Order: sequence, then C-alpha cells, then structure tokens
Amino acid sequence: MKNFDAYSKLEELSLEAKQRHLAGLFNTDNDRFKKFNATMEGMVFDYSKQNITAEERNALLELAEQAELKAWIQKLLSGDKVNHTEGRAAGHTFLRDVNNPKPEVCNEWHKMEELVDRLHSKQLRGFSGKAITDVINIGVGGSDLGPLMITHALKGQRNVNAPELHFVSTLDGTQLQRLLKVLSAETTLFIVASKSFTTIDTLSLAKTAREWVEQHSQSEAGTMQHFVGVSTNVPKMQEWGILPDHQLQFWDWVGGRFSLWSAIGLTIAIQQGIAGFKAFLSGGHEMDVHFQEQPFENNIPVLLGLLGVWNINFLQVAGQAILPYDSRLKYLASYLEQLEMESNGKHTDREGGFVDYRTCPILWGEVGPNAQHAFYQLMHQGTERVMADFVLFATPAGKTERHKYHHNLNIANCLAQSRALMIGKTDQDTHKDYPGGQVSNTILLEKLDARHLGMLISLYEHKVFVQSVIWNINPFDQWGVELGKQIALEILEKIEQKDPSEFDASTQGILHSIWDINHEN
Amino acid sequence: MKINVFGSTISAMVCAGCLAETGNNVTLIGELHGDEAEPGLSKLLDSQISAKRLTVSDTLNSEAETHIIALGPDDCGEAKQIATLLKRHADPDSTIVVRSNFSIGIVDQIIDIAQLEYAINPDFASDGHQIASFTRPDRIIIGTHSKKIKDQLRRLYTPFNRNKDVIVEMSPASAELTKYATNAMLATRISLMNEMASIAENTGADIEEVRLGLGADKRIGRAYLYPGIGFGGDNFTRDLERIQRLLPHSSDNAGQSLLKSVITINDNQKELFFRKLWQHFDCNLEDKTIAIWGLGYKPNTTSVKSAASVALINAFAHQGCQLQLHDPFAMQESRKWIHKHLTPAEQRKVSFHEDMYAAAEGADALCVLIEYKAFWSPDIETLSEKMRSKIILDGRNLYNKPWLEDHEFTYYGVGR
Repeated sequence: MKNFDAYSKLEELSLEAKQRHLAGLFNTDNDRFKKFNATMEGMVFDYSKQNITAEERNALLELAEQAELKAWIQKLLSGDKVNHTEGRAAGHTFLRDVNNPKPEVCNEWHKMEELVDRLHSKQLRGFSGKAITDVINIGVGGSDLGPLMITHALKGQRNVNAPELHFVSTLDGTQLQRLLKVLSAETTLFIVASKSFTTIDTLSLAKTAREWVEQHSQSEAGTMQHFVGVSTNVPKMQEWGILPDHQLQFWDWVGGRFSLWSAIGLTIAIQQGIAGFKAFLSGGHEMDVHFQEQPFENNIPVLLGLLGVWNINFLQVAGQAILPYDSRLKYLASYLEQLEMESNGKHTDREGGFVDYRTCPILWGEVGPNAQHAFYQLMHQGTERVMADFVLFATPAGKTERHKYHHNLNIANCLAQSRALMIGKTDQDTHKDYPGGQVSNTILLEKLDARHLGMLISLYEHKVFVQSVIWNINPFDQWGVELGKQIALEILEKIEQKDPSEFDASTQGILHSIWDINHEN
Repeated sequence: MKINVFGSTISAMVCAGCLAETGNNVTLIGELHGDEAEPGLSKLLDSQISAKRLTVSDTLNSEAETHIIALGPDDCGEAKQIATLLKRHADPDSTIVVRSNFSIGIVDQIIDIAQLEYAINPDFASDGHQIASFTRPDRIIIGTHSKKIKDQLRRLYTPFNRNKDVIVEMSPASAELTKYATNAMLATRISLMNEMASIAENTGADIEEVRLGLGADKRIGRAYLYPGIGFGGDNFTRDLERIQRLLPHSSDNAGQSLLKSVITINDNQKELFFRKLWQHFDCNLEDKTIAIWGLGYKPNTTSVKSAASVALINAFAHQGCQLQLHDPFAMQESRKWIHKHLTPAEQRKVSFHEDMYAAAEGADALCVLIEYKAFWSPDIETLSEKMRSKIILDGRNLYNKPWLEDHEFTYYGVGR
C-alpha cells in the first residue's frame, strides 16, 4: 500500500486533516450532505460526518485505482481463486445470483425447499410420528452468527407455520442443556451445521443431542429423523448417519463467515419460507450488481471500505463501533465482529511478508439506544478516537401512533448522537466538555426486511474485500484460529492424564487450582 | 298459530313439519330437496303439505305471528336480508325466534334491522335423530327478555312439553352460549378420554374397561366417554373454532386454555394411526399400501369435514404411501378433498373401492376409522387372504383383540 503514489498524497493531505475539526467542514459548506452521500434503491449512505474533503476523497479513489481494485472485484465476482493460501475461490456471490444460479446451488435450494415445506405442513416427523415443532441449529462461527442475526431480526415477519428456532454454539454445553430441559425429544429437530463436519464445538454438541434423542427413540432410524446436516463434507455427514434427504451441501469455495447465503441459512428459509430466503439472497445480489457496476465515487461498498482505510491508516482512528438503531439487529455487531476481524485481522500480506501498516481495527457494537447508556461516554469524552457506523431504518415497525412515536424518538436519538459526536460542545466546566470530532457513517435503509438485510450484509462483505485489496491481504483464510484449537487438544489430553508439567507455569497453576476445587489433586 | 319458518336446512324442515303436525299454519320459506336423508322427514313433510297445514313458498306470510329463523350457521347475510323483509312486510306485533347457530353477535345485528321482539331458541338435535329431538326434547331453551314471546313459545311447544316441563328460560346471550358450551363440554369429555387412552397404553390398562367403570358413576354418566381417533364434522368443528375466538387472548392466563388443549388433543388424536404405523415400520412408510375404511367424520354421512380420514390421508400421502379407500357414503367428498389437497403424484397413489374387501387387497395395514355397521364384523378369512401384512388399526375399538390375534393379526386399538 505504501508504494502507491496516492499513499504519499494521502499522507500529506492527512497532516491538515488531523489539524482540523470535523464540525468546521459543515460550517463552510451547507451542501455537504449532497456531496458526501451515495445511494442505491432502498439505501442511502451518508458519509458527510467523516473528516474528509473532496480532494482527499479523490486521492482515496486514486489509491483504489492504483491498487487495481476494479480488477480485483472482477476476479472475486468471476470466481478466480482469490483465496490463494487455500487455493480456492470465494464464491459467496454465486450463492445469491438468483437470476443466473449455478445448477448445484439450485439443487440445494430445491432440497431446502422440500425440507421447509415438510416442516411448514407439519409433515416432517420425529421418531414417534409427531410433527417437528422446534428446530435447534447447532453450529459455531459462520454456521451460527449469520443465521442467528438474520432470524432474530426477522422474527416478527416469520411464516405462521414455521417451527420455533433455537441456536446453540458454545462447547460448554449449557445453552444446549437448557433447551433440552424444556423441549420434547419427540418433536425437536437438530440442524448440525459445520463446514468441515469435524468442528469439535459442533460435533460434541451434536453427540449430546443425539444421546438425548436416543434415550427416547427406540431405533437408529427413529433417531436420525431428528438430524439434518449442512456441510461441505458429504462423506462425514454420511458416516455420522445423516439420512440422504437430510443432507444439505455447500462447497469449499464458500467461506464459513460468508456461508449464511448457502444451505447454512436453512434456519432463515425455515423461518421466512423459501420465498423469504430468496428475497434475502436477492437483496445481497442487488448489492453485488451495484458493487460491480457503479463508478467508485458512487459505489457504497467501495466508499465504506476506503473511508475505513482513511481513518485507520491516515487519521490513526483505532476502533470501529457498529450502532444499529433497531433492537432487532441485536446480533449485527457480533456478526460483523467475525466478518471483519476474522477476514482482515491479519499482519501478513499476499506475498507472505509482514505488513508495516495497520489493518483491521477492533470492531465492537451494540444496539444504539442501549449503547448510549454504556460505552457512548467513552466516545463523547474519552481519549480514544473511534469511528462509528449508525444503521437506521426509515419506516416504523408498526402502524399505530405509539409505533410512530417510538420510531421518531429512535430517529431523534440516532441523529442526536452522530451530531453530538461530530459537533461536540465546549464548557467552562471541564467535566462538561465534549471535544467532538468523532467521525461516523449513517446507513439509512428503507425498511427492515429480508431484502434490505441482504443488502446490508452484502455491503459489509464487499467493504471487507475492498479494504483487503488496499491492504494487500487475503481476507478469505483464517489461519489465526488454528493455534488455539491445536493447543486445546494438547491440554485436553494432559487434563485426562492429569499431567500438565510440560506447560507454562500459568497453565499449570490454573489447572492445579481447578483440581483443588474439585478435590481431584 | 300462523308461523313463518325460514331456511332450507334439515332443522328448518323438521321444525316446520312438526309445528304443522300440531295444527299450526306454517309457511316454509325455503327449498325442499325431495330426498331428505333424515329418517321420517319426507313422510312428515308430505303429510303436512297434503293436509294443507304446511305451505312451501318463496314469500313470507305477512299475517304470521312469529318468524322462526333456521338457516345454516354461516348464512348470516341471508338472515339480514330476511330481517329487512320482516321490517317491511311483517306485522309489527309479530316476533322472531332464532334457532340458527350464528356467530355470537349476529343476532343483535338481525334484530337491529327487523325491530321486532325476539328469542333465541337453539336447536340441539343431532343428525339422524332430528324429529325425535324436536318432539321429545331433553330441554327447550328460551332465551328472551320478552314476556310475550315466552308465553307464545310455551303455547307453541306445549305438545312437546307434556311429560315434564323441560323449558329453561334465560337471557338471549345465555341461550347462545349454552349452545356453544354444550359442544365444548362434549368435546372436552372426548379429549379427556383420549388423553386417558394414551395413558392406558403406557400403563397396560384397557380404556374400554376404564370407560365402563367411569360411566357407572352417576355424577359422570355414560355418554360421550368413547375414546377414538378424534371428533370432526361441520358443526362441532365450527362451534369450537368460534368459541376459541371468544377465549381470553394468549397473553391472559399465561396463554393456557382448556379448550385450546381440547382441540390440540383432538388434532393429535386424528394422526394416532399414522404414528402407530410410522413406529411399526420403523419410520419408513414409503410405498406401503394403507387401506382405510370409513372416510366420513361419522357413519352414514357424506361429510369429510375435519374427519380423521383427511388427516391420515394427508400424512400417509406425504410419506409416499399407496392409499386404498372405502366408505359407503363419503367417497365423493373424499375424492374432492384429495383432488384439492394432494399433489398430482400423491393423487395417483390413491384408489377408491366400492367393495370394502377390495380396498384391503394387498394392503400392509387396514385402518377402520368409523363405526359403520358393516365394519363391525368383517370376514376375517377374506381379510387374511387379501392383505399383504396383517395389521388392523381399530379407531373405534370395535373388535375383540384376542379374536384378531387368534387370526394372527397385529391389532392396534385406542387406549388398549
């Protein structure tokens, strides 16, 4: 990145930018919103509250040109092996190409539709012949966060015949045990969602679930009515005993954190019906088309990505807050934490060298009105410079006067916070001094439904890709998560042998303390 | 007394015929079908028409002292048209008697239009016993605030109220609810017995023995204690659905409601034999041939509305079963239902049989769903020869289990 001419230009421009106050940009230009927003059908992207001038934006666009972003977008969308460390394409956009789908993708849609129809018509049966009433998704990371986020957001719009959905992910098992206490084995279906079908988190929970069903079911055939597998690894699903009709497949060219568009999104299809799932895919696809076709100056994912680079690499902003002003997006921040930090939280470039610039910032977030009573204090008066994305919906969730009132209250709060962060306020009393100058984007969507959520998620995926191109890193692998998994297996073995002597003093000390508490020493 | 009776229902015809027979001058504003299935009805109507006490007409008698409305329970629009006619043409001192089972609240609208004094006088008769129920009723409910109607109806019903006084007077709202509450109570007894039946299966008890023991208690009585594979039928189902709408919202009583449970148990019960066979064949019913005797919701009816047969046909068809169906009355309605609800591929696997044994040909299991008389004592040798695997599922506990087991049949009843 540092070799590009545009980088030097931006570095030079940033000297002045760092000196000025964001609020000043508005004082000198009444038309700032007009000049610093981009739109597409259903979405308005306002970035006028970024500390940026037209000249700086042009230099950023120049940086994108020099990094050959256009060509990289083409490579991504045409299925080149952009994930070079694993020798794979990153084909999530193929999963949502509703107008021109791959035959294998279509085939899985049909299988999903069949399962969904059987569930909705109460004809998917458990071992006793009773219809399934509850579905538990067992999955972790990409097999959990995406479907959880979307189905939580769209719960109010669910198909009336849809069964209840539940999600479990953590290998300590307490989420699952709580559900097993209140649900009936006769009428519960488990979706075992794992890209490799070997993930210990998921497979250990699946085994616990299976033993629970076996306590009630008289036969193997009966037990297996209760399990659906979603994986790239068909032989492993087969070996586990998943019935052929219950095996849904995706492919190694689908990254885990991009997999909610595949059969991993089965819970979305169960909740919304296949038409709702397709609406979600269509929304994602609309953003793909926008990403591919729009010139960079009106290309929302490109702008979102470049503004991040400007803040991180030139203005030394350290954190990224995600602030949806709608409680239905409770899990958006968790989802984006994985999407952004697992993709771009890297210090090795595409050629294998270490980078000498910052990449993905720490990203966190919370539903806006809740966050106002939590960490906004730090954003208003703390010492950290952070950037924020406000996400807002234009139409209220209901039609009554009270809905309208709450909707306006919510809009007022969202706009008040982004304005306060931008403008600040000086006061004689230093405790009441607000420095302001905190930058933000506002993503305004028409309404919260499957299609607009598809657009929003696809936007962030492409933002991540844009930044990865500028930073010259591969966003589609995740070698960083392997070391811990490997050490966990080593420690588990030593726990069973009661011999931690080869580990560091801290590990040994904690293990001995645990054994003391349990009288196992 | 001069009386108008409105309606083309069995209830309207029975009411018109019986009131004419006791000397009233009755105008029936409705249509006769000519082949009324109700025993004795055609004869009654013919005799009253020839005696000139009963006239069938499309216009009302404007001199009538009372107007009895006995339309179908969903004919609220027609009822309002009648109310408009009455407002225009009827004697302002005449009265309205509603015997139809409309949704609660409809009668108020009718009276608002007609502006006549009124009573609610619900018809409790069940199909097949309509005339006897009218002429020898357990009870006559008169729901009114009008002294005039009370006296009028007492006079009208005197011939049917001689043994002991069975007239119960109350407000119109109470009379409406009494009708609904009756069906709700009967449904509750049946669902309770079905729940007991599933307990019996788990504890080794025989629900038929339990039923006899229970019915011997005078406080409980013997009626409506038969376990089975769920109740159905137009009226019962409609009443329960309507009364459900009057229940507290799901946020009250923590969403708990006895009647909701009654309906849920009943719905589950209809799929009982699907579950038995699903377990019997270890969760794989593909290409199994299932014979079903009895498609109507009860014997001698053409209606399959809410019948166990439709729930079972749906469930078996979804699993890819062949279905061989027989019913002496309800095949036409069943055919229509299947045409509407099953996919073409599923429909191709369904066949209808006029002969009950032909339906059992090559079957892997035979489900007997209603207590039609010809089903009580089938030729077991013929069944033995024709069926591929000898499994009988007895939805009304008609058969003696040891007898079937002696003939090497696997027997599944309800609660035994």
